[in-house]
Amino acid sequence: MIDPLPPRDLPRHQWRRLRDRLATLLITAGGIGVVVTVMAIGVFLALEVAPLFLEAGRSLGWRELWQPRWQPGTLPGESPLFGLQPLAWGTLKAAFWALLFAVPLALGAAVHSALFMPPRLRSRLKPTLELMEAMPGVVVGFVAGLVLAPWLDRHLAGALALLICLPVGLLLAGLAWRRLPAAWRHRLPHGWAGLWLMPWLALLVVSALWLSPWLEALLFGGDLRGWLEAHAGLGYASRNALIVGLAMGFAVIPGIYALAEDALSGVPANLGEGAQALGATRWQSLWKVVLPAAAPGVLSAVMIGAGRAVGETMIVLMASGNTGLMTLSPLEGMRSMAASIAIELPEAVPGGIHYRLLFLVALVLFVFTFLVNTLAELVHARLRSRYRRLGGRS
Amino acid sequence: MIGRARLPRGEGVWPWLAAGSLALSLLMLAGLLFLLAVRGMGHFWPSPLTLVTLEDGRLLAGQAVREERQPNAAGRERLYLTGNRDLDGAIWRWVAVDEIAEESRPRDLVVLERTRWGSFQGRLLALEERGERVEGEAAWAALQARLQELAALRAERDRLRDEIVVPLVRRMEREPLAEAELARASARIRELQARIAGGRLLLESVDGRRLEQPLEQVLRAWRPNAMSPPAKVAAWGGGVWRFLAEGPRAANSAGGVWPAIFGTVLMVLLMSVVVTPFGVLAAIYLNEIAHQGRLTHLVRIAVRNLAGVPSIVYGVFGLGVFVYGIGGSLDEWFFADQLPSPTFGTGGLLWASLTLALLTLPVVIVATEEGLARVPDHQREGALALGATRVEMLTRVVLPMTAPAMLTGVILAVARAAGEVAPLMLVGVAKLAPQVPVDGDFPFLHLERKFMHLGYHIYDVAFHGSDVQAALPLVYATALLLVLVILVLNLTAIFLRHHLRARHGALPRR
Amino acid sequence: MSVFSPRSADGGPIIDFDPVSCCLEIEGLSLAYGETPALRELTLRVPRHRVTAFIGPSGCGKSTLLRALNRLHDLNDEVHLSGRIRLEGQDIHAPEMEVAELRRRVGMVFQAPNPFPMSIYDNVAFGLRLQGGIRKRQLDDVVEWALRSSALWDEVKDRLKSSAWALSGGQQQRLVIARTLAVRPEVLLLDEPASALDPISTLKIEELIRNLKSQLTLVLVTHNMQQAARVSDYTAFLQEGELVEYGTTDTLFTNPRLARTENYITGRMA
Repeated sequence: MIDPLPPRDLPRHQWRRLRDRLATLLITAGGIGVVVTVMAIGVFLALEVAPLFLEAGRSLGWRELWQPRWQPGTLPGESPLFGLQPLAWGTLKAAFWALLFAVPLALGAAVHSALFMPPRLRSRLKPTLELMEAMPGVVVGFVAGLVLAPWLDRHLAGALALLICLPVGLLLAGLAWRRLPAAWRHRLPHGWAGLWLMPWLALLVVSALWLSPWLEALLFGGDLRGWLEAHAGLGYASRNALIVGLAMGFAVIPGIYALAEDALSGVPANLGEGAQALGATRWQSLWKVVLPAAAPGVLSAVMIGAGRAVGETMIVLMASGNTGLMTLSPLEGMRSMAASIAIELPEAVPGGIHYRLLFLVALVLFVFTFLVNTLAELVHARLRSRYRRLGGRS
Repeated sequence: MIGRARLPRGEGVWPWLAAGSLALSLLMLAGLLFLLAVRGMGHFWPSPLTLVTLEDGRLLAGQAVREERQPNAAGRERLYLTGNRDLDGAIWRWVAVDEIAEESRPRDLVVLERTRWGSFQGRLLALEERGERVEGEAAWAALQARLQELAALRAERDRLRDEIVVPLVRRMEREPLAEAELARASARIRELQARIAGGRLLLESVDGRRLEQPLEQVLRAWRPNAMSPPAKVAAWGGGVWRFLAEGPRAANSAGGVWPAIFGTVLMVLLMSVVVTPFGVLAAIYLNEIAHQGRLTHLVRIAVRNLAGVPSIVYGVFGLGVFVYGIGGSLDEWFFADQLPSPTFGTGGLLWASLTLALLTLPVVIVATEEGLARVPDHQREGALALGATRVEMLTRVVLPMTAPAMLTGVILAVARAAGEVAPLMLVGVAKLAPQVPVDGDFPFLHLERKFMHLGYHIYDVAFHGSDVQAALPLVYATALLLVLVILVLNLTAIFLRHHLRARHGALPRR
Repeated sequence: MSVFSPRSADGGPIIDFDPVSCCLEIEGLSLAYGETPALRELTLRVPRHRVTAFIGPSGCGKSTLLRALNRLHDLNDEVHLSGRIRLEGQDIHAPEMEVAELRRRVGMVFQAPNPFPMSIYDNVAFGLRLQGGIRKRQLDDVVEWALRSSALWDEVKDRLKSSAWALSGGQQQRLVIARTLAVRPEVLLLDEPASALDPISTLKIEELIRNLKSQLTLVLVTHNMQQAARVSDYTAFLQEGELVEYGTTDTLFTNPRLARTENYITGRMA
């Protein structure tokens, strides 16, 4: 009824085998090549930095590297100073203010969407926040440096008023929601609060700004900046840590949110429900059960956010003023490691001390972020194995 | 504090703060997009020109930009864009709102866009050309006609220069015969130039100062207060088009961003040509061929972590390895005659693309690996059981099923690369690159040239321009363009990924 | 070469066939996943053009054995294998044995239907196209023949170009069998082919198995005692990686020699 297969064609067989071997070889070579190239980054940076410490005659001591001045400039009659302290300080300060702003917001948003939001809305929200993450640093930095900074220059009191008004206004909204008739509450469900609170927040922002001059006159004699200078000794630079914190916070919120949300919503449902069955409110079950279970995931989310904040270049470059100051004040600027590289490396002479020092800075950034991310990965792996033990999804 | 006693069944205050932080994050995103959209698009709208009479009798014509509280006084002040840098020495004017006696919008106010000194805002008195003088309303009509003529002449001149003269000059070194042709083209250009030159406008600012303006420096003229809404829409469309299609003028503070768009797209294209095969190859190796032991696991974690390494570090690597290392050697071997001026030993298109390819490799590898891991093992075994070799199994069954994941990875890589500026500052962008890296000269694509980039353009114009305030609208427009490109790319990736999940959901489950 | 001597772990009876009428010879086969042994010193012969069933509790190694028969373990580095498997007298691990060709000769159908994400026609033609050198007309003929042989032709002949994933589970499994038949294998390994299917589809598959034995040798792994009794000619009982008893299906089910076998078959597990 059917012809048997045509007689086996031996050359074709050998050709297929050869092709398989060759392609496997090619993929292996290519794959290993790519992986090695990518891994070579750290090694290469280390090799470029090594002469700094090994070469006789011009090697730098740790004491020299750890002085509080960074003046690589080659002004005549001035010897360059290569203290890395201000750069490290600036980097950490920028990251600190960014995280101070981003972590509460991102974790709050993650808790809300993991615990209260309907799943359909949540699946829409995640891509939206991914878009926020994709916002290029140069655009955020431009808005921060050229729009936010001049605005804050004039409206420092407004920003202060916002800081007070927003939480109070939110609590008022919550209070009012409880008093609403059930029909209204049904139309404004708690799960959608992340959306319907937006107009209310916008209204709060506008009214806070409207109130701020009056507030400033009442509390600070009409001049908050003067008051700060006189009473707290805080000078004001128009590009300062506050702006960097806001802008870079904006950039790291989505990353922290995504990972923390994954960790929180990955907690096996029976845990939280068990607590609620015992009479706990959802919030109590979050604090007592869900959050402790998800803690490693939340921690790794914050660490990844920190890694991103430490290495972010354009935002700091455009919004920090790049002055090598070592103050804690949020109203003064700083100079970060990444920004220093971007500004100075194109002008540095290849092979010179300055050039190698900037490579050292890059190496430090590389090692730091790589370690933080690896640590985050390990912590996260622990979380996954914990969920598996608890019988949830992995 | 709101106690639980007052709120039975309540969850306390924290859930509202949590919801509020989400709302605030979304509000910030919406605010940023709104700001960029309004300011970026608004720049091209021919906004009305206000004639302001101050209480002391002084006059000014300008577009109100914004209003602020006065720093040391009670009232408010308003910023006007008044143009006329050649008359006033500045193009901005702050006016205390209290001092304004009267505002009006006379229909005869004219705005001229000029190649030097920025815009002129005031009245047109007369047009003089070859001894003829036209005055009043007729001058306006004559000016419009003459400007159209000038635009055509300029276009022909530029075409001649770019397409005939410049290539001829390059060929001259080898073929002396081209000289006659060159002379012909040059003569034609001189003739065009003569026809462009010559006219003069007699202008008057609203406060009565007169100005003679050579006509050849005037690009466009319009009367914003006399324009009908359709005419304004048309002018807006024209403005957007010129922004996208023209090169920058006046130290990047005016004109368009075409070279930057072109540079960005070309760089990203080159990058994806490099990153796609290598990323896919590495992912296939890691997922399908490598021994799935501890080492592979560690390598996989390391690759994932490399996505978190700051982009500037990749820039440093690119500068050290590609530019000074490989580029320097290439120069010594092949371009020794041009040293010490570097050919490949300086930042350029090729090095920038390679650096960004390295930067985005983890993105492609991770996405492809995810796609490969999603292909169920029984599909692989099914192919093997039919007598397929491993490579046949990969190419005929596994890779087709992974294609959307790979595409998602490449799109995400492109989106990331398009917005990345920091490494480019080290390996190859230029403030202003008059030559795009593609032209009619062999080898057509000039990998060693510097190029313009949208993101860097934003940084440069915003932070290194002479008059940031004047360039600001253009920066907004550029930022909007960049954000739009990246949003569209990301949305495509999100859509693809969603589509992919939906399709794999239909897979028969083991 | 050692003398072929079928033996059971604890003296259970083992049926033997003369080398001429047997298709597969398994001799001293041991296999371990890493440190964990899965098969211990298995020795048996599988008769040609008959249905042989492997039964046993979960984890007894029956699927592992099946996968060893067409070297599907090759890709897994964890697996250590010793002993010999001969297909028609040829050692399947011999260097001159081409693994792709071996797998063509020893086809395999898995527990869950796994059609490729392509059209029905392309699924059936997949294996043949790999072999190459076949004209379109010939390909059409083979596809039709394979689909008829697996009793699917009448159901799909009007929609050969539509996606295989649109078929029902039972149809998908028969498509997979057709796809395997199309490359004209000598042996067909079936790894619990009906465990994911509804009763009616299961019956169709079983009928198909009975019809196919005139053309090729079938080896069936199943959990389902009744199924083994219904379709197989010979049955081997495995436990903890060892061959316990092997005989004609009738003997094994009606008159098992060992208590272990009987306990398992009657559902009284120790």
